[in-house]
This record gives sequence, structure tokens and C-alpha cells, in this order.
Amino acid sequence: MGLISLGPMGEVAVHVVAANIQTILEVPVDLLGSIEVPAHSFQPQRQQYDAGLILKHLVRLPFPNHARIIALTSVDLCIPILTHVFGEAELGGRVAVVSDFRLRHNDDGTFAPLDRYYERLAKVALHEVGHTLSVYHCSDSKCVMRFSAKVRHLDEAGLYFCERCEFMVRESLKSVRTAVDD
Amino acid sequence: MNTDMIGRIKILVVDDELIVRESLIGWLKKTGYEVSAAEGGRRAIEMLSEKDYDLIFLDIKMPDMGGIEVLDHIKANFPQTMVVMITAYGSVENSVEAMKRGANDYLMKPFDPEQLTLLVEKLVQQKKIIDENILLREHVATRVKYEDLVGAARCMRQLFDLIGKVSKVDSPILLRGETGTGKELVAKAIHAKSDRCYGPFIPINCGAFTESLLESELFGHESGSFTGATKAKRGRLEMAQGGTFFLDEIGEIPLKMQVDLLRVLEEKKFHRVGGTKEIPLDFRLISATHRDLVKEIERSHFRQDFYFRLNVIEIEVPPLRKRREDISILAQHFLDRFRRETNKPITGIEQKALELLEAYEWPGNVRELENAMERAVVLARGRSLTRDDFAFLLRSSGQVMPQSLKEMEKIHINRILKLCQWNISKAAKLLEVNRTTLHNKIDKYGLRPSN
Repeated sequence: MGLISLGPMGEVAVHVVAANIQTILEVPVDLLGSIEVPAHSFQPQRQQYDAGLILKHLVRLPFPNHARIIALTSVDLCIPILTHVFGEAELGGRVAVVSDFRLRHNDDGTFAPLDRYYERLAKVALHEVGHTLSVYHCSDSKCVMRFSAKVRHLDEAGLYFCERCEFMVRESLKSVRTAVDD
Repeated sequence: MNTDMIGRIKILVVDDELIVRESLIGWLKKTGYEVSAAEGGRRAIEMLSEKDYDLIFLDIKMPDMGGIEVLDHIKANFPQTMVVMITAYGSVENSVEAMKRGANDYLMKPFDPEQLTLLVEKLVQQKKIIDENILLREHVATRVKYEDLVGAARCMRQLFDLIGKVSKVDSPILLRGETGTGKELVAKAIHAKSDRCYGPFIPINCGAFTESLLESELFGHESGSFTGATKAKRGRLEMAQGGTFFLDEIGEIPLKMQVDLLRVLEEKKFHRVGGTKEIPLDFRLISATHRDLVKEIERSHFRQDFYFRLNVIEIEVPPLRKRREDISILAQHFLDRFRRETNKPITGIEQKALELLEAYEWPGNVRELENAMERAVVLARGRSLTRDDFAFLLRSSGQVMPQSLKEMEKIHINRILKLCQWNISKAAKLLEVNRTTLHNKIDKYGLRPSN
């Protein structure tokens, strides 16, 4: 798995995400450096960046040795039908993008402590990686695959997959590893 | 969100903007729904004619056909389908209009993620309640219909009345009726309404076994009682203790077996084949036959003393042709069942098809109707059953087809007239000609009703 920054991104944040993915999914994560946020993904009428366009950009990046690429960014993300997203990935796709833009504050506007911010970032990253491994949203409120519309939902979720989602993740990883070996 | 429901919810996204469709579909798929897309109103209507959807996200403004027009079509043809209107800033008035016309809700794009999640959850829950309600109503209706006995015809109402009366007494009952009229269902209804309803209902089709097997099935056997009897086996007489014993096709029982059964019924006890232990009898006997047992007695195929033992109460189960007014109710009942079993989106039966069903003779009675409905549902291509789906009923079997067109026409008209029992109006309708034309054809071919 590869981890890349889109635009300026705190080094510690990148390492926290990499460490959590490595620990929980038991897969190696390579740090692939930093690239610019694709300018064409900016939506001036919304003052946000279209996550779907970013994904299309990421898919074309030359990292053939990495079965999955996770991009971290500080810009505010949206998709055409939603006002905002914390992250975005296509179900079973190769790439995912995660933003910390909305994770630094609580729903009431107050500033979140640093550890809370890192935890939220790791959860969103694991959630989007889960989608790239074909795992759906989960109805278990503690599972990292639950859909979180607000940061308080993220805070309620755990940093782990529930049994069912864990099983799906493991099965998907097996197929990914087989495909890479082939 | 109840993940048990998610796999079954089918969603259609209708929006002319590709990025909106892709975006919404992507989110819905990640939540585990089965999602399809239509790029406009017309395409949506086409797709609705092919498949049922539980929830539709419908854009209000589309170039080919407005969202309100599509909504009207959905509400008129698929009232159970939920609709959420997708609006943009400035279309709120249209959204309110849509709500008045039956839309479940509206969302302004871009949607707040929490709003979208809560709305979809709410609608999924609504669907669950509606589905449960339908199941409950069907369950209640089924019970009211005497456990699958369906009918509103006078003879059926009389039958239901009789079932209600005879079920309270323990006397043996003989059910008479043609094959396929539902004699077993009547027997089950009597059992269900009796004081023995908590006991077993044990049927046996006497025509399905050879004499030796029938003996073993009825009385059971001890191990070693004959070659192959390695273990003791309880017979159906024993299994029926405390309940109802249903002897179907009693007219097929060999004479020797009739004697054995008569003795058992009179002494109220029996032994297993090869056994010595006496087993007491305690059940209510219902038997059924399509034969005329009086004639069978005259032919010495049936014992008169056995007949009197069986026939304390006699109930006639009417053939389908004597209750034609029930055909449409039965057809709908079977359609509902087979539609559920096959999961095919068939909404109804066209009038012309119903007319054909009501005119047909149904020599195989309700069972033949059931089979015909199953076949029609399985092979149907459209969303309703048409006359063509039942064309197989009109095909003659084993007949050599004439060469000439005139001869073919004569045979066909004659067949339809027989089918309609020479009711000219009905026959003309089926043949899709007017009465005058039919009369002319009858005169031309010299057709006459045969008495």
C-alpha cells in the first residue's frame, strides 16, 4: 500500500496514518512523497475540491507496485451530491483520498485536541481503505466502516473493524496479495 | 440501519447529469444498496416497465421529461415505490408540488450527508413496515380463506358453511369431487376447525402405493416382518393418533385392504404388520374420491359395508366450471403466490386473458388452473399476463391439422364455441369478431351444438 500527500500535509499526521494502517491491516505501507492537489479538481462555486476528480487523477499516477494508493490532503473535499466528505474511495477501487480539513474542529466549532484529530484521521483513512477492499458501510456504530456524516459519529466509532467487516477485509486482502504475486 | 434489509432494497437514480448519477450511485453502492441509473425520464419509465424499484431518486428538472411527469407516472403505476425528488436551489416550489403529488420527500443538492443518511434510513424502515403489513394482511386473508380454500361463489360459501358445521363433530366424512378440486384442502380445513386441530393431520394417497406397500404404510411393520424390513416402522394409522387421518383416493384401495381397514375402524384397534401388540385407534377419518362409489359397489370393486363406514357425512366439492365466478379470484391468488416465488414483477392479468380463463372448461379443475398460472408467470415476458400467455390452453392435442384454411377456421370456431358452451357473445369476444360475423360463420360451416 502506498501513502502520498496531496499538497502540504503534516509529517506526523502522515506517519500516524501509515502506522495505523500497518498495524490494523497488517500490510506494509510505503510513504510515496508529496504531489500538488490537481488544480482542475477545484470547484470555485463551492470553494471545495471534487474528491471524484482527485481519485481520477490518482489512478493515473505511476505507482505500479502498489495495489492501493491512499492520498492525504488538507483541502476541503466534496462530491457533486454531498456538501462535504471526509474522504472518498470507489468500492473495490485502487485509490482513496482522505482530508483532515474538517477533523480539527468538533461539531460545535470548538478545537479538537491533537490526539483526537489524529484518531479521526486514522479512522477516516481506514474507512476509505476498507472501501477499496470492497467493504460496505456497516450498521455497527463501533465499527470503523460505519458511515460518519459528522465528526461526533467518527468519535463514536472505534479504530477497528467489526467481525464481519474484518472478515471481508481479510478476504479482500488475500485476493489483492494473489493479484500482486501474479 | 438494518443490514438485513439493505440487500433487498432496489434503488433507481434518475438524473440527466452524469456526475450527479455517478456520485449518488457511488455513495448508495458503498452503503450496500442495489442501484441502477437512468439518464432521463423516458429511460426511467422504460426501466420501470422491466423491473420493480423500491426507491427512486428523481431529478425535478430534466430536458426530455420533467420530474413531476415521471412522478405522476410512478404514482399511477407503481404506488408502492417511494420517490425522493432531487432539486437544486430555486426549485423549491416544484418540490412542494411534487410532495403534493405523492413524493415521499425532497433533497436539495448538494445534500448534507447526515440528511441523506437519515432520509434513506427512514424510507428503508417505512418499506420494512409496509412489507410486514402486507405479509400480515396476506396471513389474515389466508386464514379467513379457510387455509387456501378460495372462493366467493355460492356453492363455495355453502361449502365453507358445511365445513364449519361438520368440523365440530367426530363423524367420518367422505369428500366427493373431481380430480384437482381441492379435496385435501377441504380435509385440512375441517381438521383446522376441529377440536383435533392441535393433533396431526396425516394424509395418504391410496392410489400411489401397491397393495403390499400400502399395507405397510397404513399399519406400519415390525423389524423382520418381511424382506427389507430391517427396522420397525410406525404406520400412518399410528401417526394419526389424536388427529385426523385423510384417506385420499379411497376408490383405489384393493378389496382385501378394504376388509382390513373396515375391521380396524370397527374394532378401533390394529397391529403392525408382523406385530402382535394391539394399538388403539383415536382419530377422525376423512376420505376422498373422484369415483362414483355407488357405481363401484355395483361393479363389485368397492364393499358396501366399507362405504357405509366411511360415508356418515358426505360433502361434494364442486368442480371449477360450476364456480366460474371464482376463476378470477383464484387466478389472482395464484398470481400473488407465483409472483412471490419467482420474484417476477407481474402486476396483473389483462382482461382478455381473464376472459379466456373464465371461458375455459378446466377439466383438471383448480389444480389445472394453478399449473396454468405457474406456467404463465414463469414464461411471461411483460409486466402483466396476456391472452398469449395462456394460448397453450387452446391448443388441441393429438389432432391431425388440416391443410386448408377453411377447414382450420371451421375446427377452431367449433372448438371455441364448445369452450364457451355455445354462448355466442363469449365466443365472439374470444375470437375477436362481432356476433354477426360469428353467426355467419356458424351458418357457413353448418355448425351445431352437440347435446
